[in-house]
Amino acid sequence: MKIITMFLLVALSAASANSLPSERRKNGQLIQQALAPVQVSLQESSAVFYNDEDSRQFLYGTVVSEDGLVLTKASELSEVENYFVRVGSKKYRSPKVISRSETWDVALVKIEAEKLLAVDMSAPSDLAHGTWLVSNGAAERRFRRVKPGIVSANRREIPGGSPAVLGVALNEKDESLLIGVVNEKSGAHKAGLKKGDQLLEIDGSKIKDRDGFIDYLKEKKSGDFVTLKVKRGEEILEVEVELMPRHVVYGEKMNRNDQLSGGPDQQSARRTGFPMVFQHETMLTRRTVGGPVFTLDGEFVGMNIAAVNRVEAFAIPAKELAEVLESLAKK
Amino acid sequence: MTLGGFRAFALALVMLPAVSQAGRPALNDKEAPQNLDDLREIQAALQSNLARARAATVCLQMGAGSGSAVIISEDGLVLTAAHVTGKIDEEIKVIMEDGRELKGLSLGLNSETDSAMLQIVDDGPFPFVEIDEKDTTILGDWVFSLGHSGGFDKERGVNVRVGRLVRQANSTVQSDCMLIGGDSGGPLFNMEGELIGIHSRVGASREESMHVPIREFQKHWEDLKNGEFIGEGGFAQKIEPGSGFLGVIVEKSEEGGLKVKELFPKGVAEESGLKVGDRIIEIDGEEATQGVLDSKLAELGVGDELSFKWVSGEETKEETLKLGERP
Repeated sequence: MKIITMFLLVALSAASANSLPSERRKNGQLIQQALAPVQVSLQESSAVFYNDEDSRQFLYGTVVSEDGLVLTKASELSEVENYFVRVGSKKYRSPKVISRSETWDVALVKIEAEKLLAVDMSAPSDLAHGTWLVSNGAAERRFRRVKPGIVSANRREIPGGSPAVLGVALNEKDESLLIGVVNEKSGAHKAGLKKGDQLLEIDGSKIKDRDGFIDYLKEKKSGDFVTLKVKRGEEILEVEVELMPRHVVYGEKMNRNDQLSGGPDQQSARRTGFPMVFQHETMLTRRTVGGPVFTLDGEFVGMNIAAVNRVEAFAIPAKELAEVLESLAKK
Repeated sequence: MTLGGFRAFALALVMLPAVSQAGRPALNDKEAPQNLDDLREIQAALQSNLARARAATVCLQMGAGSGSAVIISEDGLVLTAAHVTGKIDEEIKVIMEDGRELKGLSLGLNSETDSAMLQIVDDGPFPFVEIDEKDTTILGDWVFSLGHSGGFDKERGVNVRVGRLVRQANSTVQSDCMLIGGDSGGPLFNMEGELIGIHSRVGASREESMHVPIREFQKHWEDLKNGEFIGEGGFAQKIEPGSGFLGVIVEKSEEGGLKVKELFPKGVAEESGLKVGDRIIEIDGEEATQGVLDSKLAELGVGDELSFKWVSGEETKEETLKLGERP
């Protein structure tokens, strides 16, 4: 009996000597407690989006006006049909999307509220590397949990890197070019193109082969329209098709680092193509973006826009966000 | 003068409480930051050491792969991970944060602990960091991690992360600074800006990052510097001389050089476009003879490179081939 007790003691002390208890770690409770003064800002100016279906939190928003204007990540919001919003401990039903910016992936949402605490977007956006930032962690019904992280890289534009696509597979058969599977999120689907349609002309010129067709599309940008003449059975149809970014239609490409980062469960579906971001290393997931980012002084410096991978998160700087808000409010 | 001396003395006294006995920053003595000022202290310590640390953190490029590393001397001695360099005496491109490209040559490695050295061949001086010679960093200390995550990106620059030392074992230290592919070989610093480890691998969770402690480098310092391949661990595989396979049978050509007589289907030689009847005229810059070819192949192993110049019909072609595995 004695021997066993001693052995246990030795094992316990060895474990504690070699390993730091989780509450003392960077994402542990003790640091969250130290951040209490900043949590107050987060508590008041974060909106939490819940799916009506399962009451699960799926996104955050940033409160930008006293009377209930909220900015959030547009592409995540459009994934959910019906949702409600919480600010502080109050629940707001039937929020309305007023407008959205494809360029910034930001949506402006209105909730029926008054006397909210809006973020002040006038802060200078030059943040030195290593500056502590505070974002939203997991959501609790009444309490906004904090996640710390530091500014980790240069602020910059993130290129889209996503070519414009029609959203269909192409099959070459007996000198003719046929449409294969049509992706449901594509402009081709919206325009009513169907599998088996034979492609005849694009913007008035004859389609000779697959390569020529693809080369023509390469010159185009997302948002451009092309006019296609197709043969369906005996019918000849002419349709206008919007070209869309590849990542919108097919999702972003996965590489090894994306797999290391937990893939689509953890990463934002849209994580490229932003005119300006600052980068930090706060441990976000696709469900915790959209909320405000504060410094230790409680100064609002931006809105989280993408959980990129296990080491990188992007936020739109306050100054740029103010401009986005201005243009969205005009629409 | 006296006043000046007195002032300096007073200042030293004031600063004393900020540093614990071993010369470590006081911020490490707390169980955890208790308020915003404690966090600001961590931020200030990190930021005061960051410029120098960033300047010394480089990206290593080997073909399609890339890793990170750190310069530790003015004349360009570099520490990295064994699974990044992979081999001894290999030419590796070194890229500084500002985009400057340098030539590096891998020195020794330890395949059991994942430590390796590399020498920049170009002339210095280079920005460099000090190492934690006395091994003063302990469990719970605040640390920061740098690296070219996911490869070199000039617009983004070096990626910095902060965390604590959360676990220690014999040849590994673990931090909760998050790492990703491309960070391998990059530096881990204490809050005085001294190098304490090299990034090696990640655990199952985002908050488990493994680093090779500097003492593992110190144990084998001379061997690493002298280009020794240490151990039989999983982080690098020793190339066995003579194991490389080209997949070609040649005979002496009357016009000089070696004539291709037979090609092994889908072998390295065939894949490179070499055809039966082509005439190899140079191997690694030397005149092609059976003797030269045999002696080169006897030295090289799988993955090693050998350059060829050959005449195919009217054309002269030149290609560097990577030796394959013997079928």
